[in-house]
Amino acid sequence: MLHFIGHRLLQLIPLLIAISIIVFVIIQLPPGDFLTTYIQQLELSGTKVDAGTIISLKQQYGLDQPAYMQYFIWMKNILLHGDLGRSFQWNMPVSEVIGERLGLTMLISTLTLVFVWVVAIPIGIYSATHQYSFLDYVFTFIGFIGLAVPGFLIALILVYAVFVNTGVSITGLFSPEYVNAPWSWDKVVNMLQRIWLPIVVIGMSGTAGLIRVTRGMLLDELQKQYVITARAKGVEERRLLFKYPVRMAINPLISTIGWTLPGIISGEAIVSIVLNMPTTGPILLKALMFQDMYLAGSFLLILSVLTVVGTLLSDILLAVVDPRIRFGGVQE
Amino acid sequence: MKRSFLSMVASSFLLSMTLSGCFGGAANEPPKETPKQTTQTDKKETPAPANTGQAGGGAGANAGGVPTTFKQAPMFEGKNLPPVKDRLPADVKVANEMPPDMLKYEIGTYGGTLRTVTSVVGWDADVFVMTNEPLLNTPGILGKEITGNVLKDYKVNPEQTQFDFYMRKGLKWSDGKPVTTEDVKFSIEDVLFNEELTPVFPAWLKAGGKADGTPMKFKVIDEYTFQISFDKPYGGFPIRLAIESWRGYNDYILKPAHFLKQFHKKYADPKQLEAALKEGKYAEGEWVKLFNDKDITSRELTRPQAIGFPTLYPWVMTKSTDTVTEYERNPYYFKVDSQGNQLPYIDKIQSTLVQNIESVTMKTIAGEVDFSRESAALIKMPLYKENEKKGGYRTLLADMHVTPTDIFINQTYNDPNWRKVVQDVRFRKALNLALDRKEIIDTIYYGFAEPGKIVDSTFNLDQANKLLDEMGMKKGPDGFRQGPDGKKFTIPIEVGAQAPDIVPLTQLVVEFWKKLGLDVTMKTIDQTLWGSRRDANELQATMIWTHTPLWYMADWGQNYWGRLWKLWLDTGGKQGEEPPADVKKFYDLIDKVATSPPQDAIKAIDEVKSEMNKNVWYFVHIDNVKQPLVVNAKLGNIPEKGFAIAGNFSGEQFFFKK
Repeated sequence: MLHFIGHRLLQLIPLLIAISIIVFVIIQLPPGDFLTTYIQQLELSGTKVDAGTIISLKQQYGLDQPAYMQYFIWMKNILLHGDLGRSFQWNMPVSEVIGERLGLTMLISTLTLVFVWVVAIPIGIYSATHQYSFLDYVFTFIGFIGLAVPGFLIALILVYAVFVNTGVSITGLFSPEYVNAPWSWDKVVNMLQRIWLPIVVIGMSGTAGLIRVTRGMLLDELQKQYVITARAKGVEERRLLFKYPVRMAINPLISTIGWTLPGIISGEAIVSIVLNMPTTGPILLKALMFQDMYLAGSFLLILSVLTVVGTLLSDILLAVVDPRIRFGGVQE
Repeated sequence: MKRSFLSMVASSFLLSMTLSGCFGGAANEPPKETPKQTTQTDKKETPAPANTGQAGGGAGANAGGVPTTFKQAPMFEGKNLPPVKDRLPADVKVANEMPPDMLKYEIGTYGGTLRTVTSVVGWDADVFVMTNEPLLNTPGILGKEITGNVLKDYKVNPEQTQFDFYMRKGLKWSDGKPVTTEDVKFSIEDVLFNEELTPVFPAWLKAGGKADGTPMKFKVIDEYTFQISFDKPYGGFPIRLAIESWRGYNDYILKPAHFLKQFHKKYADPKQLEAALKEGKYAEGEWVKLFNDKDITSRELTRPQAIGFPTLYPWVMTKSTDTVTEYERNPYYFKVDSQGNQLPYIDKIQSTLVQNIESVTMKTIAGEVDFSRESAALIKMPLYKENEKKGGYRTLLADMHVTPTDIFINQTYNDPNWRKVVQDVRFRKALNLALDRKEIIDTIYYGFAEPGKIVDSTFNLDQANKLLDEMGMKKGPDGFRQGPDGKKFTIPIEVGAQAPDIVPLTQLVVEFWKKLGLDVTMKTIDQTLWGSRRDANELQATMIWTHTPLWYMADWGQNYWGRLWKLWLDTGGKQGEEPPADVKKFYDLIDKVATSPPQDAIKAIDEVKSEMNKNVWYFVHIDNVKQPLVVNAKLGNIPEKGFAIAGNFSGEQFFFKK
């Protein structure tokens, strides 16, 4: 097992280098750079930007170097100093820009994950064991709606409905008086009053998907010989269900950890934009739009690393949980 | 709702008609006789009282005279500050003067927090327009008169080459340190003339405002007087200090030397500088980056780095998180009202950062915003009006400071066939004649605009067709007019969606020009790509606004209709192509506007306009478009007329009515 993990870790190095290069190239692909966007904005708002300003801005942002040099400087600083570079847009070290918002993003995403699991797994189990019952149809119906309607649309509708009926704009995580207040019990309560909305909206499609997956997997398992055998031997129905088939059916939870981890960090960008959440998703989008290359690059790099690490984790967990799964390199 | 909206439309339309009447009349009026060219302000010997007479001109103010006793905001009581009289300069400035027809000034009351919302990181245009302080002031922003602001006054010699500037005695930075010529000396000699910090000397500070002019000369006369001189006449210099390019006092001329010296290699203690570099995560020797970061210019006054930077603005930034930025009143702010109350009236500004522009609208209609201009769009007017009562705000219509989207045909695009056609003035006149202004105004601007007055606004398709026939642009078998090469002549319009009116307007223009038998296409492209294509001279036809024609700056869209000619001008003939004589004449005229004192400039601008009408370089089809301004219904001293930009919105005068 250790051999396998070591093997996989070594594989990560060339993979991450490749990813970092691709990320950097992709960010540089659109015409111009952050400065051209910035100068264009200044010009359109009536500020005359003369050649001197452009040159000194170029120096200030380090954009007078060729792209490959910018990449090497960026990589060198990450590897030697753990420094992700400076965000042009925020004029702050990237780590500070991301760091400030990471906490809330993780809170929302983790709660969403818990919400999805808590809601979806019991419903999935119920639907499978009561196939074609009235409630199964109801859940299936809701599930398909949740899968089909994009989260941002649901968010828009909710925001609109609340505004029209109460005159309150429920955007953001806090009401105006708490936004800048230091953390206190009241502030937490205020947040709890609002945080359910993004959790439900972001979790909606995940819940719907997971219900279907759990239901399908469990239905598969329930048909299998070992279940029939166990039932024939008189194992109590509830115990029978939870001891083996359910364990098999929730396998997707483990195998999708690879995507779950980056999801926790990136948040649901579009829903966050609609609901005006101070999370990391919207920052990534803006960074890409403004060609804020170190911010966008670091972000994508972190997400890539998390995906890779997540995949590794789920591989290991799967090997532990499901004895049927074997990898090359794992000793019997 | 519908009826109220209609009546609103009607009344606003009437308002806009009367307004434009005032403006049009004012702009065309012959400039008033000024006895001598020696001074720009009326009474140079007693500049402060002269200013105040203007300032207090509105209702409720004392008639003239500087107040001698001063009051401060209750917020400062018990704060252990020096008495308010000592915090104010001896040459105190009485409120921000505005023409009385634009603002009926009322004496306000202290207190309150003003809320704004922005969707751009590190930039809040609404806070900027309320707080920015230029060196000189130009009431109403038309530049007919220039008065003191941060500087008390100025004097110019008859040759328009030498400018003496007088500072306010006892003026103090927000940290209480005095503002003197020492600060000006540092800003000019150690920053502007330092090649590391300013690698290329800005053109507007060279003689005549031209890139090939000689840099200005600077001399300190005494603690409160300094002199800037040029080797050629530069009468437009004061207006450039007052409004052009939104320049604040701290862009090049006046920076807090006592604060910035600790980051300047020449003055700083090497050890401390090194520590500061480390703290800011800069590499060794990057003191220029550090200095630029610490040196907050007017454009950066809403960036989080502005905390702790000594300023002269009415409010100073005190706190900035990733979603909210807070400003508190500056205890040393130099303006008072005519009854001696130190400004600003409002205690705090709270600026919230949201993820996108729609969230701004949401907050606006929910009544969570007290002042919103930048993100307000004419297209959302019905939405604002519908929620006005519920949200407790008013929606005003101010004048847009830019032309609404103009239409450009690139006359230097690299295609001989194209050039031959578009450089023919008959072609441009034909296109101009084919623009149905009435339809544009009704469908795109809901009636809140007027046909442009700079270029002939006649709509006549027959005449337009006749001009094209005269040029020999025959129709081919496919029904389209042909270029000189005998092929279908195509006008490909490429636009970025920089403003909400650009795309629908383009669609309309495409239809108009198709009626002439021309093949016109439209493509919306990404804004960055649009900018790169423009710079590479690859745009053949496009639409964007320009800043000047309606008031007073030297931007006539030359980069869009004659990119290579403008490049030739800017690089002194090194790049681009030499423009034809008529374009050169046009450039000279624009230049004259920029370098003349206000009275002459206003005359010259009429000449520019007549040249523009003769040659139709591009299409300024509409003017007097309105810009919505959403303000809290209780907010007082908001100008009801005039341009929706900086200077007109002096936030220090705003106050919350009880």
